[in-house]
Amino acid sequence: MNLYAGKILIIDLSKKSVSIQPLRKEWLKKYWGSWGLALRYYYDSVTADVDPLSQENTMVIMTGPFCGTLVPTSSRFCLVSKSPYTGTVFETNTGGSFGPELKFAGYDGIIIKGRAESLQYLRIADDTVSLEDAQDFAGKGIFETESLLREAAGLPEGKTLSIGPAGENLIGYACVGTESYRQMGRGGAGAIFGSKNLKGIICRGTGSIQVADMEGFREKAFQYKNDNVLTDANLWASTDGTPVLVDVINEMGILPTRNFTYGTFDDRAGINTTAVKAAKKGDRACVSCPLACGKFTHINGIEMEGPEYETLCLAGSNCEVNELEKVSHFNRLCDDLGLDTMSCGNTVALAMDLAEKGRHDFGLRFGKTKDYLEIVTEIATLSTTRGKELAMGVKRLAEKYKSHDLTTQIKGLEMAAYEPRGNYGMGLSYATSERGACHMRAFTGFSEDVFNLEKQAREVVKSQNFNCIKWSTGLCDFWGSVTHEILADLLSCGLDETVTPSELALAGERIWNLSRIFNLQAGFTIDDDSLPEKIMNQPLEKGPHAGNVFKEEDFKTALKLFYQLRGWDEKGVPSQEKLAQLGLDDLYHF
Amino acid sequence: MEKILYAIPDLCTGCNRCVYACSAIKEGKFYPSRSRIHISNFSLNGYSVPNICFQCPKPDCLTACPCKAISQQENGIVQVDTEKCDGCGECVAACPYGAIDQDDKGLAYKCDYCGGDPNCVTECTPGAIVYQAEDKELRRLRGLQMKQRLTSKKAEDKRIQVGRQIMRLARD
Repeated sequence: MNLYAGKILIIDLSKKSVSIQPLRKEWLKKYWGSWGLALRYYYDSVTADVDPLSQENTMVIMTGPFCGTLVPTSSRFCLVSKSPYTGTVFETNTGGSFGPELKFAGYDGIIIKGRAESLQYLRIADDTVSLEDAQDFAGKGIFETESLLREAAGLPEGKTLSIGPAGENLIGYACVGTESYRQMGRGGAGAIFGSKNLKGIICRGTGSIQVADMEGFREKAFQYKNDNVLTDANLWASTDGTPVLVDVINEMGILPTRNFTYGTFDDRAGINTTAVKAAKKGDRACVSCPLACGKFTHINGIEMEGPEYETLCLAGSNCEVNELEKVSHFNRLCDDLGLDTMSCGNTVALAMDLAEKGRHDFGLRFGKTKDYLEIVTEIATLSTTRGKELAMGVKRLAEKYKSHDLTTQIKGLEMAAYEPRGNYGMGLSYATSERGACHMRAFTGFSEDVFNLEKQAREVVKSQNFNCIKWSTGLCDFWGSVTHEILADLLSCGLDETVTPSELALAGERIWNLSRIFNLQAGFTIDDDSLPEKIMNQPLEKGPHAGNVFKEEDFKTALKLFYQLRGWDEKGVPSQEKLAQLGLDDLYHF
Repeated sequence: MEKILYAIPDLCTGCNRCVYACSAIKEGKFYPSRSRIHISNFSLNGYSVPNICFQCPKPDCLTACPCKAISQQENGIVQVDTEKCDGCGECVAACPYGAIDQDDKGLAYKCDYCGGDPNCVTECTPGAIVYQAEDKELRRLRGLQMKQRLTSKKAEDKRIQVGRQIMRLARD
């Protein structure tokens, strides 16, 4: 089969069984791969009311059609399930080399259901697949687990996915780690692994991926790499990587600072791109990526890939911590213990704010690094009272201390590092994302007219639909100039079939709508498409947008426009007409 | 040799485009395990080491081959004649770097510089693999890499271990 491996691995941990199914070919042209295809498989495998941490829940890991080829930035693969943190369906993706390895082993994806009686790992060596005992790895960090898995499985070149103590302890914002410093970060994929008693997966694939016309395909991939990837639009990723955003976003006045109180951070020189470059030892790339946005750094004995912008902001400026060494150390601890740095940074910032307001003292203070590192381990291991409280995340911690006014989350997921009071599109994007306040669905950071509600609503819809298909083909965000036309051209050549840009655009919209259907069936309503009270009522301080709020009435106007543009009714429910147009009417009736 | 293939691990990002390109050209598929070039990736240390055939002046693979299937051309490139190869695997065991391996039929395969236009170099954006005339600094680096010799039956094991030793050299 061209571009696909053609098989899905089905693992039932309760029954200790492994089986293989042919890929559902009737879904390929509607969902394509990765996010879309995983979502379709997931939708087929559970009911929307499933308890995310129960053995009835499943998780679907999926690669895309370009994964394992020379298409630039194509190694990303995803996990789709119902989030234990938000209760929504969620997709979380990462790069590295596990995805291609899985395809070379002969599988496009893995569906995992049930729960093992004791801690296990999944061993995949081409067509030899087995569940193995992992009880000796209990409590181990991800870094050590990766090397233990390679050793125990006898697969020195095996690629891994694994969890640390945070996942084993079912912490809502536990991540799944791969290649040391890459994560399926947001939404609690690590806790789902933990709930299934699955410590990790190791895969070694020695097979191949075919394309219809190799010479033509290579030529196209080479040309797009040179003419569309390694160009001014994308080279920031190569020269600086995401740390460049610290100064850029600060300049725009939307750099979350002091628990989303200020829009700028005066003291950012210690954590900006200049600081990261000074500590840089080398550039790191995911498989197939010529950009290499990862910056490997050494600073005062702390060696790691990163930190990335989201961490520099949410665990840096948002906590008013201005030392790269401390932020790097915080990040490295999160990576090893298996915590999402974005949720963790936001939660620590809330704890600092609670102390500031005199509501509770966790021993953490804005701008101070006392206990800033210790708390990460305490959260992941649930070893102290405060660690257990912060492990709840922003939503539940704020509820406990009756501090709704200080929360920075939507649907239970903490906001990303772009202040909505200075960019209404980001607010609308956060409010309408299927997994909560996430920046990876629609990013309006660089758009014009950031307070024009109609333009922002249009841009959010367009960007969400495009990212649905972009993530579904497994490409990275940082091939920023890719288009439907380029995707269609590469798919057509690789498959030797005519694939049109418009059918890909429709697939993107279909994927977004299927997520919406799941969330509606799971009980989410228009009331959940909301903004934190802080964003609507408390004026932003500092920077060019000081004094701004995203007023509730303005937000409601934007949301109404958004629903209209999507062909949804006034309550955010897709119309039957829209569902019929997308071929989803057989899945959902009112 | 007019031009030599050099690996500069300090510049390698671990993207593996060289591996994909090599296997696409040699096997007609994306087939990394069959690539003639490999990357050993040490993610925790943020380091990757390209594994290339050095086209040794005195090739151990050639000496070990009982069928005289391996020859050295005038330009120094070491080649396998698969017509003569009987699949014994002596060359794989003999190469101290893991740079020659066997396919499903047991036939040996290795890097042949693609007839003077190696595609791995074309695909290497960071410049970690270069194909050029001899150069003093690159010769020194290559010499250090060639000193990392290992014995093992499996090419894969040698590649990883050689890669680890080269990483240690770079970090000391």
